Amino acid sequence: MRNGDADGAGATAPASTPKRRRRATAADAGTAPPVAVPLAPVVVPLSPVAAPIAPLAAPPRDGDVRTRPPLDEPRDGSLELHEVEPPSSLLNLAIDTIESALSGTFEGFAPDVLRELEEEVAEKIAQAPMELNFYGYDPWGFNTAVARRALIVTALMYRYYFRAVTYGVENMAQGRVLVISNHAGQIAIDATMIGAAMLLEGKPPRIVRGMGEYWLPTLPLVNVLMARTGSVVGTPKNAVDLLEHGEAVIAFPEGVRGMNKSFSERYKLKEFGLGFMRLALQTQTPIVPVAVVGSEEQAPSFGDFKPLARLLGMPAFPLVITPFPFPVRYHIHFGEPMEFRGNPNDEDQVIEEKVEQVKAKIRSMIEAGLRRRRSIFF
Amino acid sequence: MERVLITGIAGGQGRLVAKRLARDYAISGIDAARWEGHSREVTFHQADLRSKRVEDVFRKDRPTAVVHLGLVRHQFDEKLRHDVNVVGTKRILEYCAAYGVKKLVILSSSYVYGALPENPYYMDEDTALNVSRHYPEIRDLAEVDTLATAFLWRYPEIRTTILRPVSTLGYYVHSSIGAYLKLRYVPTVFGFNPMMQFIHEEDVAEAIAVTLETGARGVFNLIGPGAVPLKVAIRETGGTAVPVLETIARDLLSRLFRYGLYPFPADAIDFAKYPCTIDGRRFRAETGFEPLYTLEETLRSVRR
Repeated sequence: MRNGDADGAGATAPASTPKRRRRATAADAGTAPPVAVPLAPVVVPLSPVAAPIAPLAAPPRDGDVRTRPPLDEPRDGSLELHEVEPPSSLLNLAIDTIESALSGTFEGFAPDVLRELEEEVAEKIAQAPMELNFYGYDPWGFNTAVARRALIVTALMYRYYFRAVTYGVENMAQGRVLVISNHAGQIAIDATMIGAAMLLEGKPPRIVRGMGEYWLPTLPLVNVLMARTGSVVGTPKNAVDLLEHGEAVIAFPEGVRGMNKSFSERYKLKEFGLGFMRLALQTQTPIVPVAVVGSEEQAPSFGDFKPLARLLGMPAFPLVITPFPFPVRYHIHFGEPMEFRGNPNDEDQVIEEKVEQVKAKIRSMIEAGLRRRRSIFF
Repeated sequence: MERVLITGIAGGQGRLVAKRLARDYAISGIDAARWEGHSREVTFHQADLRSKRVEDVFRKDRPTAVVHLGLVRHQFDEKLRHDVNVVGTKRILEYCAAYGVKKLVILSSSYVYGALPENPYYMDEDTALNVSRHYPEIRDLAEVDTLATAFLWRYPEIRTTILRPVSTLGYYVHSSIGAYLKLRYVPTVFGFNPMMQFIHEEDVAEAIAVTLETGARGVFNLIGPGAVPLKVAIRETGGTAVPVLETIARDLLSRLFRYGLYPFPADAIDFAKYPCTIDGRRFRAETGFEPLYTLEETLRSVRR
């Protein structure tokens, strides 16, 4: 019934989970120079006040001889780390505290489960293929340190709230790939869940590149979080650049039409945009169809309050019956890669035929997924 | 020996270009400002680019190549700035056509694309020049660029090159971004931290030299060693970022600018909010240019 590498709710920690790191304390400060300890993560908080922004890091205990590459190191071979510096002034400290609170740092009050999860996320990010510059940023603004903190929230939801089950993740090709999925649930949680699946279950883990709505970059904080976790504005140039760079790009051809559809239309695919197919043809990228089952029941909506949406500059203002999404169980099905060849500038009719093949594939995957699950919540 | 005329030669970038080109060319220079103690190898003329004296320079010195850097960037008086930049450039282009100049390099700027939320991360040279949509105070930059592009197509016999470099940093150059990063407390917009590209001033000079050498013709983006978020740049140059709510920042800036206390109008805020990052692959493919300075060296060059 279930695929091999999706082990149920995933509530049991994988056997390979590394030993938990000791919490960084003030006593650690200055006990070890950052670079002198072999195999240790390179950052040691230099003073107690650095704790809110420093990643969980401490020298290894005696006998702890696991070999694991340092996680925070810029991958250009240099050992110097520029990501975290102790705050130099009170103002800096205040700003850093606010920022780390906003971006979800758990250190200080984190239970063990969270710290294990953070380590797992960090390890997966480190394994994902990526090109980082001296300061730890990729050409699109992705940053390991920020992404790690932000993705814990996603990973928590994936594991413990939506208890997602992933099927066929081995269909994720290496190199450039366009992930195409159905879209639902009023807010784009399905995108983050697919991202979490690709990161946590993928072999190798991959960072999925989201294509955001044009208004997202205008939102304070959201725009930064978006860039640091690997997403960009959904312009054709960005998509082409990312694919040519060998990244995994995710797109929802239904767009807002699908995301904000009402409860009565659940699992009925809306009209697909054609842009993704032209993009795949232009860059000769394989398409991995994805069907998400569960997302369509997470936030039932009975309409769209258009005047308010216009007032707020949002694409839609769904009238939902719940302030939080329901804890439905997510079932994420990855299909086999589909290859298309042809002229990207063909007339709509020709492109539509190819799009229809992808749509049909996703539809059949959704139907199979619906038959397979026992209930909305389990 | 070929003779190169450099406009705006007394500025930081002008001097660096002159120094770099002096190995291979005879150098003439024009600048509205005085340049005391310049090298004797340089034939220097102090003149406003809009004045008739400039034509005399073309007539007497007979340059075969022109490097046009003489654009005003910091200027409270919008009208004067527009006049100097647009009229000055127009004159230079006319003289280039009239006095048989073979090569022309114009230093435009990546800012002509504007900082807009829907900008792709890597804008290529075919992207529209959108800066005037949100930042009318520097529309003269876009206008100069457009004039030069029109000239490029009108006079195919002149090898015209328009370079659009990213934010230039260095000891000699007085760039707005350099001045901004050198502040002790650097105001940023709360909740925004766009990626920014930087290039070292010496690399800009090198790129101009490479352009003259290879005779590349066309419009080219010029990028340095890469991009970092604005706040990383602020940290690396030794400042402290102070996030300010956008409404407050806009209000404050428009007042300060009106009274001549701060050189940036409120519309400049967009450059601290949205990326204006460009794709430099075309220039690299055409000339093989690679920046010599790394990102750290470039940022350290304006460390306070």
